[in-house]
Amino acid sequence: MNTGFRVKSLKLRVLILGFSLFTFHFSLFTPALALAKIYIDITSPAIRQLPISIRTSGSPASKELESIVKNDLGFTGLFSFVDPDVPGAEIIADIKVEITDGLKVILSVNDLIEGKEVLKKRYDASKIIIRPMAHSISNDIYKVVTGKKGVFRTKLSYLVSTSAGRKELRLMDWDGFRSIKVVSKGLTSSHNWSQDGRFLIYSAERNRKWKIYLLNLKRYREMVLFSSRGLNLVGGTSPAGLISLSSSKDGSPEIYVINIHGKGFKKLTWSFGIDVSPVFSPDGSRIAFVSDRGGSPQIYTMGSNGRGLKRLTFQGSYNTSPSWSPDDKWIAYTGRKNGKNQIFMVKSDGTDSRQLTSRGNNEGPSFSPDGLFLAFDSDRDGRRGIYIMRIHGEEKKRITPKHINAMSPKWSPYLK
Amino acid sequence: MKKLLIAVMLIFAVGCAKPYTKPQEKTVKPEETVKEKTIKPEEMEAEVVEEAVIPAEEQITESVVSAEEKAKSVFRDVLFDYDRYDIRPDARPVLDTVAAFLAENNEINIVIEGHTDERGTNEYNLALGEKRAKTAKNYLVSLGVSPERIIVITYGEEKPLCIEQNESCWQKNRRAHFVVVKSRFR
Repeated sequence: MNTGFRVKSLKLRVLILGFSLFTFHFSLFTPALALAKIYIDITSPAIRQLPISIRTSGSPASKELESIVKNDLGFTGLFSFVDPDVPGAEIIADIKVEITDGLKVILSVNDLIEGKEVLKKRYDASKIIIRPMAHSISNDIYKVVTGKKGVFRTKLSYLVSTSAGRKELRLMDWDGFRSIKVVSKGLTSSHNWSQDGRFLIYSAERNRKWKIYLLNLKRYREMVLFSSRGLNLVGGTSPAGLISLSSSKDGSPEIYVINIHGKGFKKLTWSFGIDVSPVFSPDGSRIAFVSDRGGSPQIYTMGSNGRGLKRLTFQGSYNTSPSWSPDDKWIAYTGRKNGKNQIFMVKSDGTDSRQLTSRGNNEGPSFSPDGLFLAFDSDRDGRRGIYIMRIHGEEKKRITPKHINAMSPKWSPYLK
Repeated sequence: MKKLLIAVMLIFAVGCAKPYTKPQEKTVKPEETVKEKTIKPEEMEAEVVEEAVIPAEEQITESVVSAEEKAKSVFRDVLFDYDRYDIRPDARPVLDTVAAFLAENNEINIVIEGHTDERGTNEYNLALGEKRAKTAKNYLVSLGVSPERIIVITYGEEKPLCIEQNESCWQKNRRAHFVVVKSRFR
C-alpha cells in the first residue's frame, strides 16, 4: 500500500531479437489508494461490460495508438466503447501523445462515477514504437479495471509452411502484428517457450535428423538440447526449468524429461505404441500427453515422475495436442468429430468436456498466460491460419494474413 | 557425411541379366547342301525364315536392362490404412521384392521415409510416420536384411505426394517410401 506518490523508474528490456532490441523507460505515478477498486470481476460468471471512453490527443500517431488500444481491450469482451463526447462511460482514459526525439505518452485514467483519477502514468520510449507502447497502455488500463495482468504484451510463436517439407518458426504479437522470422532452416515442428520467456525450444528435421534445439532469444543463439536416433519432439516446459519431450531413441516414442542444460534425462513411459506431445501442468507436478496404448490416440495424464496414469478422453477415436490451462483446471485439445478436427476443452479431472469450434478443421490449441484466451490454427477460411478466441466466447479472430500458411501457435508466458 | 546422405540412384549392370550372344549363323556345308535333296522343302524354308526375322532392337533390350527402371519397379511405396502402422497383406510382396533386391545388391543401402495423410494433427502424424517406416524396416530385417543398411526418417504429413482432399489421394500419402543410397551409413 502506498502513502503519497510512488515514483518508480523501470528500465524495460523489450523482448525483440538481436538487431531490433530496444529499451524504453517509464515513470509511474500511482495515487494513494486505500483499496483498489475492481470494476470488472473477471472471475464472476456473469461478466458485465464496462462502458469506457478512450480520448487521445497530440501527435497524429495518437489515432493509430488509440485503435490498437481499442482492439486490445475490445477483444477481451469486457469493455464497451463510448464516444468521449457523449455521456454513459464509467471510465475515461486520456492518452496524450508527443513525438519529439522518441515517443512520449501520458495516460490518465479517471473514474467518472466517483470523479477521481485512478491512474496517471508517463511512458518514454527512445524510439517511435507505437505498437508496443499501445499494448503497454492497454495492459495498464486493463489492470486498473480488472485487477489482473493483461496479455497485450505477450507473443505467439508459430510455424509457417514455406515449401513442401519446410516450415519456419516465427514470432508475432498477440494481435498478429510485428511478425518476425526466428528459424528458417529445415523442417521445424513442435516448439514451446521456457516459462521465463527467455528461450524457445523446438524440434526440427535437418539432414534427415530430428533434434531438439534451444534458442536464447536475447542473444539469438541456437544450441542442440537433445539429439538421438529417431524422432525427438519437444512438448512443454515446467516452472522449474524442465522440458518434457517424446523420443524414439529406444525404438518406440516414449515420454522423457530433461532440464534446460540438457542434463537430468529421465524416462517416464514404457509402452509399445506412440507416446507423444507431453505438456506440464502449471505447477509442473503432472504431465498430459497423447498415447495410442488403448488402440487410438487419446489424452492421458500422469505425475511428472511417471506414476498415476489416468486416461482423460473417452469420446471419439482421435484426441491429440493437449494444452494445460494456467489455472490448472482445464486441458484443451484437438479432437476428431464427423471427419473434422475441432478444439475441445475438458476439466483436468476428465469431466465436463466442451466443444469450442465447429467450422472447418481446427487444431493445436494453446492457452494465453491468463487462461482467458486460446490460440489455434484453422482452415475455416481456406488456407491454414492462426486464430485467437476467448475460451467462453464465440468470436474467432484470424491474426495471420490470408496469403500465408500458418499453424501450431504457442502462446508465450508474460514477457518483461 | 552429407555425401553419404545424398540419395543416389545407381546405374549398374544387372547381375542376373544375361549378356547377349549373337546367334551363330549356320554355315551350310557343302555336304549338307548335297544332303538337302533328301530334306523336305517345307522344313528347310522354315529354318531360313526364322533366322532372318530377328529385329535389331531386340538385341539391345536383351543385353542392357536399365538399373533405374529395375529399382523403380522394386522400390514401390508401401501403403497403410488410416491411423495404422501394421503391414497390410498387399504390402508384403512389395517388401519381399525389396528384401530380395537388397540381398542381391550389397552395395545398396536405403532410407525409408514414413508419411501420413493430412487428416491427423502434425505432431502425432510425425510419430505415426515413424512407426510406419519402422514396421517396414522391421519386416525387411525379419527377411534377413541387415538393420545397418536401413535408415528411417519420418516426415508425417509434411511431404504429401498428392494434395487433393479425397480418399484416393490420402491413400497415396499414407506410405513408406524408399530412397536408394549408394554408400553405407555410419
